[in-house]
Amino acid sequence: MFINKALQEINLKIVYYGPGLSGKTTNLEYIFTRLDPTMRSELVSLKTREERTLYFDFMQLELGRIKGLKPRFNLYTVPGQVYYNFSRKIILRGADGVVFVADSQQNRMGENLDSLLDLEKNLIEMGMSLQNIPWVIQYNKRDLRDIETIETMQAKLNFFGVPHTEAIASRGVEVVSTLKMIISEVVYKIDALVEQ
Amino acid sequence: MDMNNGSQLILSEDVYDGISKVLDDLAAHTRAELIVFCESNGYPILHKGSVDNLDLPIISSLAANNFSATAKIAAMLGEKDAFKFLFHEGEHTNMYLSNVGFNFVLLVIFDAEVALGIIRIYTKKAIDELTKLLGAVKEEEKKTKELFDLEFKTLLSEELSRSLKL
Repeated sequence: MFINKALQEINLKIVYYGPGLSGKTTNLEYIFTRLDPTMRSELVSLKTREERTLYFDFMQLELGRIKGLKPRFNLYTVPGQVYYNFSRKIILRGADGVVFVADSQQNRMGENLDSLLDLEKNLIEMGMSLQNIPWVIQYNKRDLRDIETIETMQAKLNFFGVPHTEAIASRGVEVVSTLKMIISEVVYKIDALVEQ
Repeated sequence: MDMNNGSQLILSEDVYDGISKVLDDLAAHTRAELIVFCESNGYPILHKGSVDNLDLPIISSLAANNFSATAKIAAMLGEKDAFKFLFHEGEHTNMYLSNVGFNFVLLVIFDAEVALGIIRIYTKKAIDELTKLLGAVKEEEKKTKELFDLEFKTLLSEELSRSLKL
């Protein structure tokens, strides 16, 4: 979090993490379309020639002043493919909250778990962990066939009992509520940290 | 100070005004087209020059992440710290990126006709001054709590719903 008192701005960083093709970029693309252009930056995507995320996607969402303060949410996605781990570490640095976008298809459970363990490993290297950073899980692609039940996914991935949503990001289902959920977790966590 | 561990970095009005003066001096001496001072995660803090056709949050984010990517190359080459600066040369426009301590990045965009030496000399002077100023930046967690009271959280939720057309 970065606070510029002179301009009364609060900058928060939220990172969308998850395996390749789970729908992280799709989340940002949907949020982008829902916002008035005066409230957001452009959506920048650093992609490979195959249209896969190479480094990150980024957009900034700027809300109107609340009690004199202007909140700005800096939304990033990381590349999901295993060999771009260094990109993920750079983007994760300074994150205030994480949305883990899981792919609900049964044959993708291994990738979900690998990505979650990769997230935990990277957080630990930065002095954080899944136990203390605000994070939520989005179970995406709920409209596809051969998907895992929510109960199974919760048992396999949500071992800390964080809030979760059931989404169809390609149609915008539960995309905005996921964003609201992580923002709420981040703001709540600030109190919890201070009270310790 | 390091923002790795989810800490909160707060920039006071005094420091902000000091940064503004340093950037004014830098702009006057270099005739730079645009100077952007941003936090190392890419949050733009202050700029001098016109950004009419530019998306400042995007420029800041790309510049800061550019720096982070090359910091890894520096580490792989056995450098103790990140590269001190990056220089990108275009046909009409050049860009000079410098890190200011661990948490900030200074971006200077200038006409390709301007000598790089001028930019380097005055940017170095500006960085020295900024480093002194930013020594005073520290974490102020208790004050942050006061910012996020129950009323703020409620209003934030309403503002999000309104902005995202729920």
